[in-house]
Amino acid sequence: MRTAPQALIAEITHRCPLHCVYCSNPLQMQGSARELSTADWIGIIRQAAELGCLHLHLTGGEPLMRRDIEEFVRIGRQWGLYINLITSGFGLSRERLRALVGAGLDHVQLSFQDSEEAHANTFAGTKAHAQKLRVAGWIHEHRIAFTVNLVVHRQNIDRLEELIRFAEQLQPDKLEIANVQYYGWALRNQLALLPSREQLRSSLPVVEAARARLSGAMRIDYVLPDYYAKYPKPCMGGWGRSLMLIDPAGRAMPCHSAGVVPGLEFPNAATESLRAIWEDSAAFQRFRGEEWMQEPCRSCERKAIDFGGCRCQAMLLAGDAAATDPVCSLSLRRPLVDDLIQQASLRGSSNSQWVYRIDPME
Amino acid sequence: MTASTGRPQLKPGCRLSPAGDLLLIPEGALRLEGPACRILRFCDGTKTVPEIVAALLEEFPSADQAKVSEETSAFLVKLVERAVVEFV
Repeated sequence: MRTAPQALIAEITHRCPLHCVYCSNPLQMQGSARELSTADWIGIIRQAAELGCLHLHLTGGEPLMRRDIEEFVRIGRQWGLYINLITSGFGLSRERLRALVGAGLDHVQLSFQDSEEAHANTFAGTKAHAQKLRVAGWIHEHRIAFTVNLVVHRQNIDRLEELIRFAEQLQPDKLEIANVQYYGWALRNQLALLPSREQLRSSLPVVEAARARLSGAMRIDYVLPDYYAKYPKPCMGGWGRSLMLIDPAGRAMPCHSAGVVPGLEFPNAATESLRAIWEDSAAFQRFRGEEWMQEPCRSCERKAIDFGGCRCQAMLLAGDAAATDPVCSLSLRRPLVDDLIQQASLRGSSNSQWVYRIDPME
Repeated sequence: MTASTGRPQLKPGCRLSPAGDLLLIPEGALRLEGPACRILRFCDGTKTVPEIVAALLEEFPSADQAKVSEETSAFLVKLVERAVVEFV
């Protein structure tokens, strides 16, 4: 008997009023016509709780684009789940937040694109910054956990100290400074986003100083771009080990970019039981455990720590989803990543070539 | 506010699971063993640590007071460091 997933990531819609150039959603998104019904999601959330999930992450797209999100919060909480809302704040009003908290919302993670409104709106392709500031104020009217997620990349990482001081004024419990990871739209726009090694190196003491200064007041998580890591990240806590993601159309996936792996068929959670999907589906079995591993992972003592890294990244960079994640310093394909870093270091920091995330069609 | 005069409570967004065996927090969950969930049930922002210890001793009259007091304080210090408990 396998352990239960720790969390269900419910990507309830791909619709979003923002067009962030580093959106992690897939390039091929699910339109509103394919979105699951309210009843479908309620059934899925109930099954997730029965299966042993502890957390429900409501995300998207912008999850607030669904009018029935309050219902999902209420049902999730009724079934004992801890409810996280991952949002841009767009579509929230003071009253709607009050209703969500009343329904049982535990934690809001609010994303920011920058400290400066003009920059933030440029990265988001939408005038969203001012609304986010209002939302941060409303969150403090409630006793819920508040995380600010600040996305950094080569266009703003040099201003990290200023970004942290901005986040500090929002008074979250935690600040997550997230370097862009290269999937979906971010991979498409990588040339404009990947910081140079020097930029990244300079950011480390800035974070350390802020941690020391803010100790006891605001915790800071700093997520490095894995291209610069010595070892890969334990992506999704290992394939099919702790997380299940369901996309707007109901496709159950071990990871939000698993669609890039050829030959995988994702069972639909509206028609198949979550337990059967988790325990028996080929998609969730595909890279579970260690059988699938190649060298150097197979004989590596770190295989129980990072599970060979990210399968999607192995596919995207090395063209083989079962390969060692090419960011690993032990991978023979590591030069692929070094080349990308080298290119980023040589290039200037200006950019006008990037492509904004488009909203899915009907 | 210090641990000797303050009243501990769970921080916003931290709560016991319905079954009471887990502390649910934004990043995941902490499994509560033995007396941990009993201590946390009393952390509602109205009781000082000595009052919590007294309440625990009422439930377990045969327990050693010094030991309960020491363990309760140590446990709460750990949870403050994990940012899941605050003193008000």
